[in-house]
Amino acid sequence: MKNAFLVLLFILIAGNISRLGGMWWAIAPVAALAVLLFPLGPGRAYLTGTFAGSLLWWASALWLNVANGGMLAAKVGLIFQGLQGMQLLALVALLGGLLGGFGALTGALARAMLIPVKQGRRRRRR
Amino acid sequence: MHGCSFPMRFLPFLLSLLLTCGLIWFLQVPHQIGDKPLPPIGAFFNPFSGFWKNAESAMGLSAKDAKIPGLQGKVDVVYDDLLVPHIFAENAEDAAMAQGYVTAANRLWQMDITTRKAAGRLSEVLGERTLAIDRLTRRRGMMYAAENDLLGWAKSPETMRLLTAYTAGVNAYLDQLSPGDYPIEFKLLNYQPEPWSELKTALVIESMAENLSSAESDLAATNTLALLGRPNFDMLFPEQDTRQQPVVADTGQWKDLKVVLPPAPPATGATSGLLPSTSGSLYSQNEDPDDQIDPYLKGSNNWAVNGTRTQSHQPLLANDPHLNLTLPSIWYQVQIHTPEQNCYGVSLPGVPGVIIGFNENIAWGVTNVSHDVSDWYQIKWTNPERTKYDLDGEVREVQKRVETIGIKGQASLLDTVRYTVWGPVTHDFEPNHPLFDCALRWVSHDMPDPQELGLFLILNAGKNYADYRKAIASFDCPAQNFVFATRSGDIAIQVQGRFPVRAPEQGRFVQDGSQWANAWHSFIPEDQVPSMKNPARGFVFSANQVSASPSYPFYYLGNFDHFRGRHIYDRLAAMQNATVDSMKTIQLDNFSQRAHDALPAMLALLDRPITDADGQNLLQELTAWNYHYDAGMTAPPLFEIWYDSCFLATWDEMDVLRKQGKDIALPETWRFNELLVGDTSNVFFDHPATPQRETARQIVNESFRAMQRYFKQNPQKRIAWAPYRGFVIKHLALIDAFSRLDVEVGGHKSAANAINRSNGPSWRMIVDLSEPVRGYGVFPGGQSGNPGSRYYDNMVKAWAKGEYYDLLLLRSADESSARIQGRQTFTAN
Repeated sequence: MKNAFLVLLFILIAGNISRLGGMWWAIAPVAALAVLLFPLGPGRAYLTGTFAGSLLWWASALWLNVANGGMLAAKVGLIFQGLQGMQLLALVALLGGLLGGFGALTGALARAMLIPVKQGRRRRRR
Repeated sequence: MHGCSFPMRFLPFLLSLLLTCGLIWFLQVPHQIGDKPLPPIGAFFNPFSGFWKNAESAMGLSAKDAKIPGLQGKVDVVYDDLLVPHIFAENAEDAAMAQGYVTAANRLWQMDITTRKAAGRLSEVLGERTLAIDRLTRRRGMMYAAENDLLGWAKSPETMRLLTAYTAGVNAYLDQLSPGDYPIEFKLLNYQPEPWSELKTALVIESMAENLSSAESDLAATNTLALLGRPNFDMLFPEQDTRQQPVVADTGQWKDLKVVLPPAPPATGATSGLLPSTSGSLYSQNEDPDDQIDPYLKGSNNWAVNGTRTQSHQPLLANDPHLNLTLPSIWYQVQIHTPEQNCYGVSLPGVPGVIIGFNENIAWGVTNVSHDVSDWYQIKWTNPERTKYDLDGEVREVQKRVETIGIKGQASLLDTVRYTVWGPVTHDFEPNHPLFDCALRWVSHDMPDPQELGLFLILNAGKNYADYRKAIASFDCPAQNFVFATRSGDIAIQVQGRFPVRAPEQGRFVQDGSQWANAWHSFIPEDQVPSMKNPARGFVFSANQVSASPSYPFYYLGNFDHFRGRHIYDRLAAMQNATVDSMKTIQLDNFSQRAHDALPAMLALLDRPITDADGQNLLQELTAWNYHYDAGMTAPPLFEIWYDSCFLATWDEMDVLRKQGKDIALPETWRFNELLVGDTSNVFFDHPATPQRETARQIVNESFRAMQRYFKQNPQKRIAWAPYRGFVIKHLALIDAFSRLDVEVGGHKSAANAINRSNGPSWRMIVDLSEPVRGYGVFPGGQSGNPGSRYYDNMVKAWAKGEYYDLLLLRSADESSARIQGRQTFTAN
């Protein structure tokens, strides 16, 4: 649980910083790195990465959208089949979640590949 | 899994990695739904560099201090509550640099797309769908014209210094951008901005020239003459309406002018018969009647009244240039203050200086002159490859210019354009085009006066009439009626441009390109263009009407207005103790001279009594109508339907050919009105298809019944003028979500408030040249080009309601005003 929290925190902070590099997809490698640093099982890594990615993207878009009074989102929604601002935010959350989730999963599987967990440790954890 | 061997552990990892990379790739590349291209989903929707970054805070502006390499001093920019930048610089180059920077910060995509369109480079970013547009643009010689502009301007070091500084300012802004900062249209259309250049400024100028000075009807006139014969042609297409008040009246100034015009052009083979049909004809049968009737009627107004007619005893100047309205807005307001000048007005994004505006001493404005300065010449080829042609019995060789047109996702198209002594052979890539063998002679292809661009510098800093004359003397194209007023009491107007000295009717029809006698041999000397200063009547004005009274010794032709000018003249002539509000009432005047001329005659010809209640209702409404196209009135749609129906039914002889795709000119409505009033049994009122002989009476009555039927069948159209006509301000990429489709306004193309479906006053300005000088203005849009900014279209409402903003002319950067919203400082380091 502690690691899940640390992964979440890492993704939120590093994901937010990484945007400065201009790589919109940076959330995926950031999530992978988070799980490499703070190990989680694949399932838990995927869920935590999805939650963190969704939260980061959704909250960042929401922040800009609220400051803008929702004006631009309403216009962009019209271009895309009449989507509402809230639906656009949901789409952003979905995209951030997918990238965060798959990034974290890849990180977990990379760690599992490189550093196999000992049987005894697994038993103890059970 | 953890207990598995390495290869077994590697597989899930690889799978997950591939899935993640695949997901990123999927979101990174553009997709298409049907024929609708989509931007890359991840790049567009992400909150860090996607469209959300263009969602500007509604709380206010966020202009930051910045470095502009090359600045000589410090520049302060003060933004008012309309986001107008007030630039305070220590010299003209610094001011131009700052102007480039702030304009780019607000209009970068507009500057890019305008120059791409003018250069024939749309396909580079939009793909094959714009190839035909690009090809025609190149073949009309737009890039050739822009290159010539630059060659001409390069002879003036002052112009080039200014231009280079402006370019550096734009590029300084560009250099500090990250992809997330790009205007939203770049993200939607998935391409990147590129550096600005002096050539791009020339392309903006050429874009305006194309818009304002390329209209001609040589082919339609040639066909119509062949169809009707000379007597009928002359009867239906007289060149001047004697009721019109020209821009410059005859005050005896031309009586000593000895002008020798070239001999009349020899007959050309082109006029001996109807030219072949064309797929791209001027009119097509599916067009709206509104576009077929007076198709060139757009319009701009300007005038100045002197102290004899104003309450303040000081001049007032007004200007409202009418253009195809767009978002981002055509104009960008700016104040430029240097030790030499303090000027406020509107600029064109991409061009340094103020185009229409005022300073502490003078004010000026422009309307389009509308002369025909582009002619077609039929080439006589002497070899099958069509690379050699005959000119006065000598064989000449074409010069080939290879245009490389980039196409997104495809190999570039190399298009060879043949240039003759006249200009480019434009349509020879379209075998069925009637101008297939014709070359285009367009004044905008010529190298301009070196000072042309610098004129705005002189005008912006101008103090008196001498400065005005000196400044505008170098202006070539697109020719403009420059109206002018000073605080010291002068008013003036000048028809300024580069006008060929023409033989009578030269350029009216397609000409024979094998005879040099048909060429433009000289241009009207600068001191002989129509010009007027301080006339006894106390005002000067223009509304795209004829330039001078018939006694003006030079022949000219064009597409002139016939209605607005007459009404504006009447309004000004009746005006005493005029104020700024009086000026507003003219700019917003929805009275139609055309309806005033025609409706009484139509009502007089209408048979009575009308027995059915519907008909009586319509008649009653029309009889009570005051000829104003006000937004809420229900009579204007009735008149439009009735009048258009009369008009088209009268020209059925020509309409048949027009519907076959021939380029045929229909008479202008002012001439139609004359026949309706004074020649009701004219042969053209007859329907050739019927055995009896119809007159105007039958046309008017059958059209009235047609109108009745129309409203019976379309009761939903029995509504007020504004919703009936409809009005849109379209986004430059035709994106509806970024357009304004909901604006209800009155006006008509034959009224001073010349609002059509998408045309109208692109800037309304009134300047009171009292002490201190005060300006009032509004345009239908906003200062920002960003659809995510509250300054994108914040002035539309006021514009539609006929309201104006006080234009804030600050005297110094430190001057306090409640309207100041923010400040920005530019330094070199």
